Amino acid sequence: MRTWCAWMATFILFISTAAAQVQVDLKKVCHVEDGRLIFTLDLRWSAPQRTEVARLFGLDSALVSDAYALKPVITSNGKVWKTLKIDLHRFELSMEAGKDESREETTEKIFLLDDQWIKRSSIAERESVSYGVNRFTRNILVQSGGRLRFFLPGQKNAKKVFISGSFNAWSTLQTPMQPCDSGWTVSMNLKPGKYSYKFIIDGKWTNDSYNKLRENDTYHGYNNIFFCYNYKFVLSGVPDAHKVLVTGSFNQWNESELRMIRFQGNWVLPLYLREGTHAYKFIVDGTWMTDPANKVTRPDGKGNRNSFMGIGDTLFFTLKGYSNAKKVIVSGNFNAWNQEELAMDKTSDGWQLPYVLAPGNYEYKFIVDGKWITDPSNTYKTGSGNSYLSVKPNYWFRLDQYPDAGKVIVTGSFNNWSTDGSRMEFHQGSWWFPVFLAPGKHTYKFIVDGKWMVDPANNLWENNEYGTNNSVLWIEP
Amino acid sequence: MSLLMCPARISAKPAPGYLVPGMLECVSISGKPINDLQGNTVGVTIPLKRAGRLFLLEGTIDNMIGNFILDTGASGLVLNQTYFRNAIAVDDEEAGGVTGSTASVERINVKRLLISDLVYTNMPADVTPLGHLENRRGVKILGLFGMSLLKNLEMVIDLRNNELQIFRLDRTGNRLGPPSPVVKYDIIQKIGEFHSIMFVKATIGGKVLDFCLDTGAESNVLSITAHKNVLGTVTITRRSGLNGVGQDRGEVLFGTLNEFSMGNRQMVPMETILCSLTAMSRKYGCPIDGMLGYDFFAKGKIYINLVKKEMGICLKPEENK
Repeated sequence: MRTWCAWMATFILFISTAAAQVQVDLKKVCHVEDGRLIFTLDLRWSAPQRTEVARLFGLDSALVSDAYALKPVITSNGKVWKTLKIDLHRFELSMEAGKDESREETTEKIFLLDDQWIKRSSIAERESVSYGVNRFTRNILVQSGGRLRFFLPGQKNAKKVFISGSFNAWSTLQTPMQPCDSGWTVSMNLKPGKYSYKFIIDGKWTNDSYNKLRENDTYHGYNNIFFCYNYKFVLSGVPDAHKVLVTGSFNQWNESELRMIRFQGNWVLPLYLREGTHAYKFIVDGTWMTDPANKVTRPDGKGNRNSFMGIGDTLFFTLKGYSNAKKVIVSGNFNAWNQEELAMDKTSDGWQLPYVLAPGNYEYKFIVDGKWITDPSNTYKTGSGNSYLSVKPNYWFRLDQYPDAGKVIVTGSFNNWSTDGSRMEFHQGSWWFPVFLAPGKHTYKFIVDGKWMVDPANNLWENNEYGTNNSVLWIEP
Repeated sequence: MSLLMCPARISAKPAPGYLVPGMLECVSISGKPINDLQGNTVGVTIPLKRAGRLFLLEGTIDNMIGNFILDTGASGLVLNQTYFRNAIAVDDEEAGGVTGSTASVERINVKRLLISDLVYTNMPADVTPLGHLENRRGVKILGLFGMSLLKNLEMVIDLRNNELQIFRLDRTGNRLGPPSPVVKYDIIQKIGEFHSIMFVKATIGGKVLDFCLDTGAESNVLSITAHKNVLGTVTITRRSGLNGVGQDRGEVLFGTLNEFSMGNRQMVPMETILCSLTAMSRKYGCPIDGMLGYDFFAKGKIYINLVKKEMGICLKPEENK
């Protein structure tokens, strides 16, 4: 008996081991033969293996379930499938191939497959890093305020030279360089941030050999990178120091990266810093110190203090009145609706909080002694009833006419086609809505008292999948 | 890349009176004959941009700057209705292509199209919706730059360097001007032309097939109704839905061509999709076995001489084993 049991156990183990060893050879799962699309499936495949095959080959789960039940004929999504057992473990699931009736009847034009292509807008790149320092081996980029002058040495025999990059949506025509004594030059006004670029010399894409900063261009080459600066760290009073660095929250307090340069008795480091508030310190010959020229310091929670500075315009959230309130908080999507963090300061006629926000669209509310209220001084509201704020809006939606409308909404790709998110306000004969839009294409519509319409003042529109039209708007980088 | 895009198979008939480089009417930016450009330059290099697997040329059309998809699968100039809706139509025509929704097509006259140093004036163009291409690729697309715009020229597509070279030709198809540096092409193949669409023969599974040369196709395409010897050489790796213009759904199979030869040279492996090309064949008025798109053009430097009716491929070193 014991021997028989041992033999059975060995047999079951062999079976289970054999079953576990059935691999899915994806190259042999699907083929087309004699006008039929045929899947060769194996009854020994595990549930995860069956699921993976179904996912790869777009097979409906109910279809797969019926197939493994070996139903001879299965109708799925209007198509007739057949199963056929071909040996002990394997069977075929097949359907007629090459007859897509719906497609045959259309006057075909363009087809697209679902894809993984991710468009990278230039604003995403511009603010994609929190800081940046250029690494040119020659002085070919000169910045004065937001104006940059690019210089391409040599190329005296070239007939046409352009610079193309994320700053001009990679236009090959819009930014020509001008010949000068020793090369080619161009000046551009840019916002602070990170940019990628190449030169185009007589039609040929050319990298900047004097720039060490580069990134893969995803096409087997690379783009050069530069930063448009917006800040300069300066440390005075340590002329005899040998090595000075700056470190901060923007570079995760890296202690060896950002070395400052001795300049006219001071130590300086110009760089790009993303808008917002940054903590920082200097490291002078190994000794950490706050910025003696900056009085704003805050504790770091470890018994020390850091210097603090803000990049960008300071906004003032203000709330008039409520003089008897004990505590007023600003809470919004810019601080993940934190209900404690941003306490406002009491003023002679209300409450106020200075705050730095990057350009963008935000919503917020005040919390007065625990009670949430919208900003009474701000007429723009979101559909969910919060106050709406657009910092440095780069576009104003405008709809003339309809003065008697009760509710006018602008909806589009910029707000995921929210039907109540962006309520326009009526001022001076028109409906308005300010918004900060990323560079690129935006489609939108107005909803006037529930009625959808394209922008009557915009002659750019396109068909949509619902058989109606959307207005089209392009925002330049 | 899992995206396939075969921009418009517009059934534009070759129209008389339009101007192409090399003809007397062609003028440079400065208004001089193109022969006077840059010291009698007879060739021009145009930087190509990429949007996914599409090749874009930047140009100016009636004072508007934007991108054109280089699309040898389109017969002529096709413009995006979004930006040319108000142009005065001179004709109406029905759109054609592979799959998707019916779209009306108007024909207009374009006063001036400038692509680098190539200038076209008073030429016909079809106008049709292309907004969905913009939405999927995130770039402004003014239109499609089709085959008839390259007539009487030689073009060299060099994806490694992202550039398109255009050369003017004499009547026998030889480049004008001083001799160009000699390039050794690994494959030289005759091309056929039908309704301004280029066809080339290639062999799969011992069968000779007719492929449309289509720079606007983001993938090669093989007809799902091809001979069993052909399909037997294809490894199918996955199956996916297909989005049409009007949200039509179709299905395609993704696979690998394990046998593909042209001019006795194997060019494998190459990715492809398999789908029905019945409708496209009907539209073109001739049977099509497949299309050679991005995966084919990425194999090396490819010239297409539309006077000699031939193409050549200089395979990339890694392909040339």
